[in-house]
Amino acid sequence: MTFAQGWHPVALSTSVEPGSSAGTHIDGKELVVWRDNSGVAHVWEDRCPHRGMKLSFGFVRGDHIACLYHGWQYDTGGRCRYIPAHPDLEVPATITVPVFTTVEALGMIWTSAEPGASRSPPPAEAAETLPVRSLYVDRDAAALFQALSANLPSPFTGVGGASLTPAGDNLCRIAAGDDRLLVGLQQLDAGRAALHVVIEGPGSIYAGAGQAHFLGWTAGLRYALEHGSIPAQIAKAEAV
Amino acid sequence: MSGITLYNYDLDENCYKVRILLSMLGLEYRTVAVNTFPGKEHMTPSFLARNPAGSLPILEEGDLTLFGAEAILAHLANAHDPARTWLPPAGAEFARVMQWLVFSAGELATAVAARAHALLDAPGDEAALRRGARKALRAMDDHMTARGFTGAEWFAADRPTIADISLFPAFALSRDFGVDHDEYPALRRWTGRFRKLPGFLTMPGIPDYH
Repeated sequence: MTFAQGWHPVALSTSVEPGSSAGTHIDGKELVVWRDNSGVAHVWEDRCPHRGMKLSFGFVRGDHIACLYHGWQYDTGGRCRYIPAHPDLEVPATITVPVFTTVEALGMIWTSAEPGASRSPPPAEAAETLPVRSLYVDRDAAALFQALSANLPSPFTGVGGASLTPAGDNLCRIAAGDDRLLVGLQQLDAGRAALHVVIEGPGSIYAGAGQAHFLGWTAGLRYALEHGSIPAQIAKAEAV
Repeated sequence: MSGITLYNYDLDENCYKVRILLSMLGLEYRTVAVNTFPGKEHMTPSFLARNPAGSLPILEEGDLTLFGAEAILAHLANAHDPARTWLPPAGAEFARVMQWLVFSAGELATAVAARAHALLDAPGDEAALRRGARKALRAMDDHMTARGFTGAEWFAADRPTIADISLFPAFALSRDFGVDHDEYPALRRWTGRFRKLPGFLTMPGIPDYH
């Protein structure tokens, strides 16, 4: 799915704290993900229109993001509001950064390049979620998804096999024993992709050991992608 | 005056590690600027007499002449932080600090070499150095992701230690050798915390946010 269509996950919600920014890509397009101090997440083109500097290198002040080069500040609508070298200037309304529709759902930050109301948002009715991790690999999303399908996790609670079902744009749900995971898929650029993994379940069950269990699974998945398969479990060390 | 002298090059991240700790401990010290690039002054006989390995930083304190950033960090924390906040005196915390100090001087040295190759004309295989640096940073991000599940915010203890100081520059400066921060969300959050520590200071390549 190209950036022009549908919803795309760009980060776990917990990975972008209030007052911080991070760079990412969708299909090779450079994006900045940032969260203002009131907690609202934004996804924009990662480029200051002044000199082309990445805004993800910049910094957040209140509800503005400022470019690292010359401090130009943009409000949450992407409009430039302050130019430090010309503090008295009423900044022309034409100085703007392209912004993309951004929502938070399922413990992830989602964005869409489609005009605002043209599609329904990603399913937002999940119960409590807990973050596992964003896994970045030097492979295309298709190869990552294939490896995911071939290496589903073992359950943390309950018993039984695992299954994977589509759950929306770039989103699937994994059932393993009594556990449910939600996994967002992001094509970063040619040969690079990410999985955003959360547990769909309460912290009272999964916080700590449950998260660590599925973190271990993602490490195995990455190993399988890079080495072809996951080796049998290494035997525990024996006393000598 | 504590009688500490740091032989320093501002663009050397290993010198930066020592400057951070000196600042966080609030110690007074004297610096001697060394013309590392392009002068290679640190390779001249007078410097090799202080450090046969031909690297910076070098620290002098009293009769002690010490090279190697990690050893210097350990010495300063041991000698000037009686509460042993920065270098836990014993147990698992001490062991973990040592583990990450050795990692910093070992696996993570690839990142230092990658940056020296990119900025300071040092020899090296660019692709191999970047690959090695990414591998080391990935190990750090994996570790901090797992630490986060138990609410731990620092590499080796329940508070920042010299392990965090020794690991910070390679990640903070990784854009200098073409590795962006995008893929390391746990390290990004750790970096944000580190920057807020009292006494934190920047160096060229690590911006001050105004």
